[in-house]
Amino acid sequence: MAEFSKQLERLEAIVRRLESEDLDLDEALKLFEEGIERLRVAREQLQQAELKVKKVLEIESPS
Amino acid sequence: MGQPLDLFAAASAEGAWTVSEVSRRARAVIEAGLPPLWVRGEVAGFKSWRSGHWYFSLRDKSAQLRCVMFAKQNFRLPVPTDGMQVFVFARPSMYEEKGDFQLTVMELLSTEQGGLWKLAFEKAKAALAKDGLLEPGRKRRLPAFPGRIAVVTSPDGAVLRDIQAVVGRRWPLAELIVVPAQVQGAKAEASVCSALNRIRRLPVDVLIVGRGGGSIEDLWAFNSERVARAVAAMPMPVISAIGHETDVTLCDLVADLRAPTPSAAAEAATPDRAEVLAQCGVIGQRLARALRIASRHVTDRLARTGDRLTSCMQHRIEQSRARLTAHGAHLDALSPLRVLGRGYAVARDADGTILKRVAQLPTGKEFRLRVSDGEVDGRVQ
Repeated sequence: MAEFSKQLERLEAIVRRLESEDLDLDEALKLFEEGIERLRVAREQLQQAELKVKKVLEIESPS
Repeated sequence: MGQPLDLFAAASAEGAWTVSEVSRRARAVIEAGLPPLWVRGEVAGFKSWRSGHWYFSLRDKSAQLRCVMFAKQNFRLPVPTDGMQVFVFARPSMYEEKGDFQLTVMELLSTEQGGLWKLAFEKAKAALAKDGLLEPGRKRRLPAFPGRIAVVTSPDGAVLRDIQAVVGRRWPLAELIVVPAQVQGAKAEASVCSALNRIRRLPVDVLIVGRGGGSIEDLWAFNSERVARAVAAMPMPVISAIGHETDVTLCDLVADLRAPTPSAAAEAATPDRAEVLAQCGVIGQRLARALRIASRHVTDRLARTGDRLTSCMQHRIEQSRARLTAHGAHLDALSPLRVLGRGYAVARDADGTILKRVAQLPTGKEFRLRVSDGEVDGRVQ
């Protein structure tokens, strides 16, 4: 789930691009859609997550 | 036994050394051959002079050494007493004025106050410092959104429970990877090192090394140079949460962050998901606003184009209308009605055939005559 930070980084990049550049509408719409989708996924992850705990010794040598 | 005369003869006046020369030479040999070192022994004949300098001997069963510790080195130390076992860090030298071989003491630690531990600690710390492992510049930043958090600690202690509770509340997106280790006792050093080794190869974003408080002996594994070096060599940032605030261990010193408690370590390792959710909200607003702005250009252009289209069409329509009027006038001029108006008439038979010639109009032929304001019937006579 280091993916979450990538997700957020991508989101920030989308917002910045959308805010700063003179995009044609098609491109802007595409970015917007991607942003909204990523935001939805991120929110879902935040709200549904439950802590997973693994004990490494048990995984490696189940004795 | 008739030899003494020969000896005197061999030692000419120029060849004999002065006392000072021998002392200086002896001092040079001693200082070159014996760099500063740690010496253990029992304090004897301790005397503190008014100047603040300390003079005493260190001895063991079979030998003793003169020692001096100057005021600027000893001013923070408790005064040792005769019979006390101590460690000193000292520079062996020669006190030329008295011809004494002596130690110039720079540090003095009593084993009675955990001095032994402190000695080992200081030695290891110096070694770590020498290799640059204590440099503040080495400290890495913790990841903002950790995916995998590894924990090295005793598997059933309160430490793990605390960390799990905090991470579960703040950042349950993470996966907690627990690598149990013995954190106390003779095997602790090896156990912690092997746990660290295991984690080294795992894709982990941040590592917490944790242990509850204890006596300095209990915490000893985390003061081992081997463990400290293993911590320093970890590829991911390490948070150390060992003992309580007052006990700084070597492990604390080499870690990227020192936390006072395991809970604090877990808190430092994780973002708060409520805050991240709020952040997501802000991003959403920015997205919507940015799209509005991005589409404004297009809307504006569309409006402008629409306006041009309208005005263009209006122009066309007016042109057409003007042409239509002109054609209308022309048509009007050509209209038969206008001709009738000028006094002409049109004659037609019952079928509606226009009668233009005399031959079409024999005597008695009936016809209808169309004049400008109506029709009348007629007959040829």
